[in-house]
Amino acid sequence: MSIVKDVEKIFEVARKEGRKKLLEHEAFQVCEYFGLSVAKYGLATSVEDAVKIARSIGYPVVLKVVSPDVVHKSDVGGVTLYINSDGGVEKAFKKIVENVTVKAPGARVKGVLVQEMLSRSMEVIVGATRDKIFGPVVMFGLGGIFVEVLRDVSFRIAPIAPVDAETMIKEIKGYRILEGYRGEKPRDIEALKNIIIKVSRLVETLEDVVELDLNPIMLYESGAGARIADVRILVG
Amino acid sequence: MIALVEELKSLFYPSAIAVVGASRAPSKIGHRILCNVLKYGYKGKIYPINPAAEEIMGLKCYPTISTVPDKVDVVVISVPAQRVIDVIEDAGKVGVKFAVVIASGFKEVGNVELEKKLVETARKYGMRVLGPNIFGYVYVPQKLNASFGPRDIIPGNIAFITQSGALGIALMGYTISEKIGVSAIVSIGNKSDLNDADFLEFFNKDPNTKVILIYMEGVQDGKRFMEAASKVALSKPIILVKAGRTEAGARAAASHTGSLAGGPVVWATALNQSGVIQVNALEEAFDLARAFSLNPLPKGSNVAIVTNGGGAGVQATDTLADQGIRLKEPPRDVVEQLKSFLPPFASLKNPIDITGMALDEWYYRALSIILKHKDIDMILALYCETAVTNPLRVAEYVLKAVKESSVNKPITVGMVGGPATAEAIRFLNENGIPAYPTPERAALALASLCKYKSLKEYVEVRLKQLS
Repeated sequence: MSIVKDVEKIFEVARKEGRKKLLEHEAFQVCEYFGLSVAKYGLATSVEDAVKIARSIGYPVVLKVVSPDVVHKSDVGGVTLYINSDGGVEKAFKKIVENVTVKAPGARVKGVLVQEMLSRSMEVIVGATRDKIFGPVVMFGLGGIFVEVLRDVSFRIAPIAPVDAETMIKEIKGYRILEGYRGEKPRDIEALKNIIIKVSRLVETLEDVVELDLNPIMLYESGAGARIADVRILVG
Repeated sequence: MIALVEELKSLFYPSAIAVVGASRAPSKIGHRILCNVLKYGYKGKIYPINPAAEEIMGLKCYPTISTVPDKVDVVVISVPAQRVIDVIEDAGKVGVKFAVVIASGFKEVGNVELEKKLVETARKYGMRVLGPNIFGYVYVPQKLNASFGPRDIIPGNIAFITQSGALGIALMGYTISEKIGVSAIVSIGNKSDLNDADFLEFFNKDPNTKVILIYMEGVQDGKRFMEAASKVALSKPIILVKAGRTEAGARAAASHTGSLAGGPVVWATALNQSGVIQVNALEEAFDLARAFSLNPLPKGSNVAIVTNGGGAGVQATDTLADQGIRLKEPPRDVVEQLKSFLPPFASLKNPIDITGMALDEWYYRALSIILKHKDIDMILALYCETAVTNPLRVAEYVLKAVKESSVNKPITVGMVGGPATAEAIRFLNENGIPAYPTPERAALALASLCKYKSLKEYVEVRLKQLS
């Protein structure tokens, strides 16, 4: 499978650099190979680059520092949201590079990720881990406190059939929120099912992926799809 | 290569069985096993192996397997761990197909190498291994009890696979005292070679087995287990007690049999996805097994409860509700027929309360009406011991109603009371109607039939979508 070969190159680079966690653009690329709808993005290594990428994506955009040495990007001033113009991109790019140089001296900076600023919506999470006995396990939950505090999540062992995806979505206590609660429109469950099934395929195909998190996924109203805002992939 | 199911036939239908370590001393495990094989009624040939004895229990002894002048299918090995390999070598040379290794002292105490060698030696001769660290196995249709557990296992259609030894033996006794009929009992211990998945496949094809109950500590190959269980769950219910449901329990299990315990949540997920009914308690496991053993699957989930006590009805209603089963009002014609003999204050909603003044015979009349109605899928009969009733007579009337109705619908009975009620419960169980000492247990067992049905449908769709 050529996808596996292409992805293997990404993993190889990470291993050579002693990284377990893929960089943002690498993780996005892996997801794209499996047809997962991630926010538009590009890696910029210069201000000019950044502006060019931002224009092709369309405003508003987000800028994030890409560095294997920076774990919490916001803490070092490595993230700027809601950028609406070329000038804004230039300013943010310079500011991010400066912030990181000051607050994380010595950190290797691969560039700055220019990313589509997704319109806000209901946030959900799809993730995967590997169990010693049963292999890849896929998780689903609503974002924020639903996962972190209430642990309202459901699991399935891969391979995930459509009926698995469907039942694992319905299984969480907060399912009613997805159906449309207090005047909210119902969410695009079909799009969510597709993401879950694609994640199952991804972890089944790529045995080196030990952990994956699509968090958050913006889940839009029924028919409007779902877009992945952030991806975290750990490789073994 | 012979298909596994065919291969396992020699284990369950052996024409000759040898017991190595057969002893004249009744305190020895080898003696107990030989005694069970002999006295439970096994019709094949039995060869005690003991170099120091001429004969045991009237059977001629042989010093080794290879000196037996006959083809032996199964050798039960009850000698200390260090001597097991030599026995396997000897048995392998003369083509024995199965080694049932009773001895402990292998992987469960850290002797991983010895266990590896055991399997390698057997494999050299194409021999399969059950165990080590087990109490043996029982196959009732062949009257074969090659275990050192209790002897007089009650014939039935439940196959019981247990990873725990002591608990497994104790539960053999439990099936006897609780009047639970069994088709097979397999102690699988360390699962060095044959494992749960292998036996699931065999029992799936076994015409004498209707339901499979597993006590499990862990599995080596989760995927294989899921595949086998999914396949089997389509035709037979699998009830499973997983040791180590909580993180604390999982740690105890991991240090017990050397199997890796997966996270409890992952286990629950995997079992559900494979159509396996996971239960927490042993009592519940056998309660459910009994209900499956004696009942057909329901057509729908419309339950009618008949009770002579309001409280019992409420307890059962709550239990069913917890399981997602909501009671509907009884059909109008049922109500009309019930009215003809019940007092005016009887509640003819569901639960149908035939009142505390109900006579024994009212159970017969009420159940006969309900059993026959096409819109009622399952029946829960509840009874509270009262001064005006005789529990055994009530049980007899319940049995009569079921026997006389030509329909085949799931029913469970919950009877609460004293010693006479305990008698009545035993009577029903012996006569093929699952009865329990509380309304909750009867309700939960009945609900599990519905649960299995929906699990089965889910797995059917899942496997189809994945193929």
